[in-house]
Amino acid sequence: MNYLLHILIMCAIYLILALSLNLLIGFTGLLSITHAAFYGIGAYISTLLMVKMGFNFFLTIPLAILGSMIFAVIVALPSLRLKGDYFLLSTLAFQVIVFSILYNWIALTRGPYGIPGIPKPKIFGFEFGEIPVYFILAVVIAFLIFLIFKQLYFSPFGRVLKSIREDEIVANALGKDPTKFKIEAFIIGGGLAAIAGSLYASYVTYIDPTSFTLDESVFILSIIIIGGTGNLKGPLIGTIIMLFLPEILRFLRIPDTIAANMRQIIYGALLVILMRLRPQGILGEYRFE
Amino acid sequence: MIALGFSVIYNTSKVFHFAHGAVYTFAGYTFYTFARLLKLHWLPSILFAILLTILLGMAIENFIYYPLFKKKSSLMVGVISSLGIYIVIINFIAMLFGNETKILRPGVEKAYEIGTVILTRIQILEFLVFVILSFFTVYLLKFTQYGQALRALADNSNLASVLGLSLKKLRLISFGYGSFLCGVASILVALDVGMDPQVGITAVLNGAVAVILGGVGIFESAILGGLAIGVVQNLAVWQISARWESAITFLILLFILIFRPQGILGKRRRLEEL
Repeated sequence: MNYLLHILIMCAIYLILALSLNLLIGFTGLLSITHAAFYGIGAYISTLLMVKMGFNFFLTIPLAILGSMIFAVIVALPSLRLKGDYFLLSTLAFQVIVFSILYNWIALTRGPYGIPGIPKPKIFGFEFGEIPVYFILAVVIAFLIFLIFKQLYFSPFGRVLKSIREDEIVANALGKDPTKFKIEAFIIGGGLAAIAGSLYASYVTYIDPTSFTLDESVFILSIIIIGGTGNLKGPLIGTIIMLFLPEILRFLRIPDTIAANMRQIIYGALLVILMRLRPQGILGEYRFE
Repeated sequence: MIALGFSVIYNTSKVFHFAHGAVYTFAGYTFYTFARLLKLHWLPSILFAILLTILLGMAIENFIYYPLFKKKSSLMVGVISSLGIYIVIINFIAMLFGNETKILRPGVEKAYEIGTVILTRIQILEFLVFVILSFFTVYLLKFTQYGQALRALADNSNLASVLGLSLKKLRLISFGYGSFLCGVASILVALDVGMDPQVGITAVLNGAVAVILGGVGIFESAILGGLAIGVVQNLAVWQISARWESAITFLILLFILIFRPQGILGKRRRLEEL
């Protein structure tokens, strides 16, 4: 039972990541691979505040969001001047730089040794320690964020983003400044991704930089590309497929040594096949035109 | 050399070829298979490995990119498929050979001193091959019929096809040649410092940075970009620490992208054209 709940908690965390990346890719048409950096920044800010300064978990979340939003502005300003491949490379550059900082700034992050002993969230003396209790917390937070995104996706703001995706010049002609909206999308997407980081850190109680690598960014990207971009269903189905698939492989009794590689091969092959046959993903609406 | 290979492919097909990194890893491992596991002599091993590498590069183009190109898919679809193939090939290699670093040559290499510089034999060989292949590539592109056709393709693919050049064939040639350069580089580096399945991504990213640094659209500029990146990285390792190497490479990339997106040798273009 705890095993199933564990997978569901991870689903909740990745759902937050997928929804926030969807705002960038599916809505605004910005193929960004910096998402693991936002995730990592959220995790590290929360952790450091809790471990070093004894902050309450729920107090660290707004600060993690704030930190991640500031970083989003730093990424967005130079990257948004670029297009296509160059934009992708620029976000990739930020991803690698953030990983390097987490890995090498040993005085602050303890680098490759990671930070152990992260406290579980507590509120009014009640601790979210046990897996079932934590599961409720994760689901509630993920559900709240799901609602926020539901509002966002169908708000005038969301529609402007879609119009920018379809045709930037038209959006501009209608008096909407595309750059301004793109930066806002980045800030919101990046900021909310930080929540996933905080949740992850306090759930596993140990973080190190290898959880926030380029591969992780690619994984989040594949969740929404496989599930589908531009709506709410896509990220949801993508998260479920991508997180349950490895568990199914486990039951097929594939030896552990090759299971990890097998999983990656399946993800990779899925990406190639979907791009060929159905570029908008399983339930998506945006086709990367 | 990786940069040069990447440049040949990127300029002609406009595909951001992530899988170039997989091709790179593949070359090293096939060489390893022939030379160490099948105990072949090194010369046929190198030839076979490079041949297979070229075939792999062409197969990726033929079965993955070309159909997408025909469907007029966007660049982003190409990038994502490329990433997908990269993941598949790399993990396949990791599954067969394991994730640990493989050393191709046991023992310490004989070292030579030239002035104050100490180089091993294999490093001198790397340098020579690099110079020869650079000149050879420039010669091919400038003075042979295929080279000129490739440059025409890079400049304007619609016009090239109107003039009766076969896009399919030319793209295949560019992937084959790009993979050839990449394979040679991979085997030399593997001989020097060994390899693991993850070397490819670093190699291709460095290559991409070098191409942009040198200037997209001009094949030769990748040579300059590659040299510049190599020098800066080694200075960084020497002055600061090896751990910041990739961060510094990407900081350079950001500066280039922001302040001079056309690269060192590139002509000034408007951002919309990029």
